[in-house]
Amino acid sequence: MRRVSVLGRGAAVTLSALFALLLAAALPAIAQAPAADPAMKDLSMEQAQRGVNQPGNNAPVWREVRGGDKEAYASIPGREVNVLVQTEGQEWRARRNGFWSIVAGWSLVGLVIILAIAHMLLGTTHLREPETGRKIQRFTNFERWVHWSAAISFVVLATTGLIMLFGKNILLPIIGYTLFSWLAELGKILHNFLGPLFVVTIAVMIVTFVRDNIPKGYDFKWIFSLGGLIGGGHPPSGKFNGGEKIWFWGGALVMGLTVGVSGLVLDFPNFDQTRSTMQLANIVHLIATTLFMLGTMGHIYLGTLGVAGAYDGMRTGVVDETWAKEHHPYWYEDVKSGKVTAEVIDTHAATRQPASGPAD
Amino acid sequence: MARMKFLCDAERCIECNGCVTACKSEHEVPWGVNRRRVVTINDGVIGAEKSISVACMHCSDAPCMAVCPVDCFYKTEQGVVLHDKDLCIGCGYCFYACPFGAPQFPQAGAFSMRGKMDKCTFCAGGPEKDNSVEERTRYGRNRLAEGKLPACAEMCSTKALLAGDADVLSDIYRERVTRRGKGADMWGWATAYGPAPGGPKPAAPTAPAAGGTKS
Repeated sequence: MRRVSVLGRGAAVTLSALFALLLAAALPAIAQAPAADPAMKDLSMEQAQRGVNQPGNNAPVWREVRGGDKEAYASIPGREVNVLVQTEGQEWRARRNGFWSIVAGWSLVGLVIILAIAHMLLGTTHLREPETGRKIQRFTNFERWVHWSAAISFVVLATTGLIMLFGKNILLPIIGYTLFSWLAELGKILHNFLGPLFVVTIAVMIVTFVRDNIPKGYDFKWIFSLGGLIGGGHPPSGKFNGGEKIWFWGGALVMGLTVGVSGLVLDFPNFDQTRSTMQLANIVHLIATTLFMLGTMGHIYLGTLGVAGAYDGMRTGVVDETWAKEHHPYWYEDVKSGKVTAEVIDTHAATRQPASGPAD
Repeated sequence: MARMKFLCDAERCIECNGCVTACKSEHEVPWGVNRRRVVTINDGVIGAEKSISVACMHCSDAPCMAVCPVDCFYKTEQGVVLHDKDLCIGCGYCFYACPFGAPQFPQAGAFSMRGKMDKCTFCAGGPEKDNSVEERTRYGRNRLAEGKLPACAEMCSTKALLAGDADVLSDIYRERVTRRGKGADMWGWATAYGPAPGGPKPAAPTAPAAGGTKS
């Protein structure tokens, strides 16, 4: 249509005849070529021409506005003030308010239900043998500090993030405008200041735990049997099992990086990033945080209700020898053989036989 | 009741920025915040240069309203989209969503400290009592409550920018198009107000709908 109006009717007819001849002779793909080569590529030149041919017809201008590939001019200072209309916002709105928030919300609810059912069916995994009373240090104070910093900031970030996304639909009708706005403002400030802290904690955590998370051959056995869920038995593992290693690489590293980068893009608008960058960052943040929250729910479940004794390791830093032997036998062997330095404390030492010396 | 709309005639706008100045002065808008701006396309290209004055268009299905996490926006009986700065948390979502770049923030600070959002009110103030000191200092003058139309359009030297009852604007514009014989680019109307319900679509033999036909 554009080509016809520029060339005029006579030329168009001639061209059409030529075009038909070409079509008969050449492949359709080649025949397309003349059509894809407009006389005037520049829309501003096209508008100038259009203004002569059809005064008052500003179609090329509006097409240019929509396309947004050429800078317009605005005399007032500011970021993107020369953009007359940005159409990506509608898409962002549709995705954020529609598909992705629905997926995020229901997948979180769904996992809670799945975990509840799984817990009812499988229950807590208890130790098969009685505890020895001898405790092995599993995490140093520093490691626990790092993990708790990440854990607490994650929970606050997740809660405030969910308030931002779903509070309007769930909390607002219950607590009212004023209180909800106050809560959301507090949540926003917490989210925006804790976010960068979380990124730092995650980075420190990756450095702290990377050595024990290097994948080993036996991890795959663990993963393929879902930690003994399939086929019975408890596949052995090192200090961290296959699931924990997946959580380390997929959760802490990949999700941490994705959530961190997208979050920082949104958190620091002072770097003059455009709206479309922030829209993209917001959607990435939404998807990645949902996956992160799903993973965390599984992680928290297994670390508390799912496996008895696991939480003690993170709370006190020490685990019972039996727990170590049953859940992480390779690590236990390493500790016993002195390959890995870990303090062994006999909590019954005072009431029983003289304590056997520390493993190292 | 009348549905309030803005209309900018690209054939008349001369990019004088009188509307921008009128708005700033009328509402004593702080530095860094511009509720209205003029954008010029094909600047300097003879025959192709067009200017449009743009601000909040007070959309029928307002994206800002849809994405606001605290639901601080509301619509008056006249279709004017206003917001409550007491509820606004300054998250910036309205700014991401708005096609017209209307929502403004006093800052763009680190840790997303933006301050309360500010935008064109169609000179209709805010939720506070009409023409109260609080309303004036926070949202600007409430000209609609005084029986006046927005200052930007009143100030427009070429009457390119029109503001008021949608039916009246359409009539004025239809007459202009008829006199010109061509051109019916009601810029932004399809985006802001959706497809016209079989109503005021001026006779347009050649031009496609302004701002695209998609909503």
